[in-house]
Amino acid sequence: MIKIKAKDVDVFYGKKQALFNISLDIEENQVTALIGPSGCGKSTFLRCLNRMNDVIDICSVKGEILINDFNINDKSCDVVRLREKIGMVFQKPNPFPKTLYENVSYGPTIHGMAQSKQEMDEIVETSLKKAALWEEVKDRLHEPGTGLSGGQQQRLCIARAISVRPEVILMDEPCSALDPIATAQIEELIDELKKEHTIIIVTHSMAQAARVSQNTGFFHLGQLIEHGSTDKIFKNPDNKKTQDYITGRFG
Amino acid sequence: MNLILFIFIVLLGFTSYYFGRKKAYTIQSTKKRLTALPQFYGYYLAIWCAIPAFIIFSLWAIFEPTIVKLLILSDYSNQGYLDDELNLIYEKTKALSRGQFTGEITPFIDASAEKYLSLRSIAQSSKVVIVLSAIIASVAYAYKRISSNSRTREPVEKFLNAVLFTASLAAILTTVGIVFSLIFQTIDFFKVIPLFDFVFGTHWYPAKAFVRDSSEALDPTMYSDTFGAVPIFAGTFFIAFIAMCVAIPIGLMSGIYLAEYASAKVRQYAKPLIEILAGIPTVVYGFFAALTVGPFLKELGTSMGLEVSAESALAAGGVMGIMIIPFISSLSDDVITSVPQSLRDGSYAMGATKSETIKRVIFPAALPGIVGSILLGVSRAIGETMIVVMASGLAANLTLNPLESTSTITAQIVVILIGDQAFGDPKTQAAFALGMSLFLVTLCLNIVALRVVKKYREKYE
Repeated sequence: MIKIKAKDVDVFYGKKQALFNISLDIEENQVTALIGPSGCGKSTFLRCLNRMNDVIDICSVKGEILINDFNINDKSCDVVRLREKIGMVFQKPNPFPKTLYENVSYGPTIHGMAQSKQEMDEIVETSLKKAALWEEVKDRLHEPGTGLSGGQQQRLCIARAISVRPEVILMDEPCSALDPIATAQIEELIDELKKEHTIIIVTHSMAQAARVSQNTGFFHLGQLIEHGSTDKIFKNPDNKKTQDYITGRFG
Repeated sequence: MNLILFIFIVLLGFTSYYFGRKKAYTIQSTKKRLTALPQFYGYYLAIWCAIPAFIIFSLWAIFEPTIVKLLILSDYSNQGYLDDELNLIYEKTKALSRGQFTGEITPFIDASAEKYLSLRSIAQSSKVVIVLSAIIASVAYAYKRISSNSRTREPVEKFLNAVLFTASLAAILTTVGIVFSLIFQTIDFFKVIPLFDFVFGTHWYPAKAFVRDSSEALDPTMYSDTFGAVPIFAGTFFIAFIAMCVAIPIGLMSGIYLAEYASAKVRQYAKPLIEILAGIPTVVYGFFAALTVGPFLKELGTSMGLEVSAESALAAGGVMGIMIIPFISSLSDDVITSVPQSLRDGSYAMGATKSETIKRVIFPAALPGIVGSILLGVSRAIGETMIVVMASGLAANLTLNPLESTSTITAQIVVILIGDQAFGDPKTQAAFALGMSLFLVTLCLNIVALRVVKKYREKYE
């Protein structure tokens, strides 16, 4: 089933065009990887999906992005509701300078999702369990989140993102600041998360894309060169550029 | 003369730099590799010029007056003069040689003055000769010594280190000196006025001490109930409190606006404009408070049936608050701007609005810096003088009514020290005691500020 449908998306930073005519369908409850060399626009595309580009003054987005058949670029779209449904995990772990508990309860608090302290405790516990962090931190929930290791911080950010039960989780190179062991943990987690969430991950690591994703899109110079099932893209790509990139001949 | 000599030595320094560098280039041109860049050879020679000059100048400044005095007074030895009289003779001699002597000129003193002048000129010319020959000798020695593998970089770096160390030492020693002079005068003050009376007395009336005829013997009992500092401490904190009530909300909110809401263009113009407020001399704020705000408040109060003094704590505190706004606004703007963008992104991505993000994420993250800026504002408010002197009156009333006039530590120091002062008088020493207490208060504030900042640092980083 198609969860997100992007149609002819153009993105401009001031006068400079960063994305050209991107049309891409994203399958529900699957992992879609976006690959491509640095500066090719894959992160920009990802940030279109939860309208994070609004934060950048000079950035403008054209075209339609349908999520559950609703155009999020429409004026009637409420960004707060949208971002509740579409969570995001960033390249560098960015826990808030608050306690672990406050980090995870942040989203549920601002969206009024818990009626009582007990409910909030439950949300925090489930989110941390889903992010495979509960066992490590259950005794120090009231210590600062910034005191964790890099991999733990990133899992805390994942727990924070899933605390509001988003339908989609966007991950912008979530493992690029982590060591191989932490990376493996996050990848395992992604596999688990796709049962309940649709996941879109931007990655520089071809191996990672091959390991975690079912679908892959290849971006180059602001264009979506090719997309399809990960198997096909990695084994039998249609486009020469895709082949070159995947085999490491450029990029 | 000294100035010309000094300029000449500086020129010599430049010349030795030039020769040192030139020699290095010459060595380089013979394809030898130098141990340091040619400039270092130049600096090295310049240092060999500066150090002997400095040493000789210092020694001269220390010993010349003593030696001259000894030589002059040797004429008067064995004539049965007392030490005090000898000193007087020497002073007279110096005054006469400067042409500033107005008393009766005896032939003896006239002769001494002649001798004094000739000694001074001998000293001056020998100083020139000695300094210049020492410099030339040391530079020549160093010039001959430097070669392709001599170490020039390390001494130059060490010299710089020493210069910088001396600079910071000077700053520290000055502070220590000031604190010590405060301490000794304060101790003298408390020998006359009991500490208890000062700290807990509720009546401050130093004018009483003006009445004393300095020829009278010092009678401590006449000062009882004169130097009770409670009213002025209360006034100080009260006015500072009013000022912070104005400055904290406005400063913080404008800081948040500038950092988070204002577009780049608005910020570009608004920030310097706000900082102009910080550049207005406090005396201007003072007459603004005294001539505009004070009378305005009085009229406003009268129209509402309140009795308002023309010089009120409210006028002084309010204007002082306006003065402090730019500190808090500008500093908190800097602190908020330095909160990493990734935290904002994280919060927005959770669906938080701008105000939620500021309230829940950015403000707590910036809190240590904000607290620091506020405490800085408080120490400025406590140390501010001019506005209070002009707008809040000089009578130390013990009151918590913002509409009455009250006074502060700083204003009282001004009152005490304006006009003639006698050293060793309790009235003058009271100023030192007040200065000491002011210093202690700001010191405590700074320590608290550091503690608070450190505590939050530990929590958030």
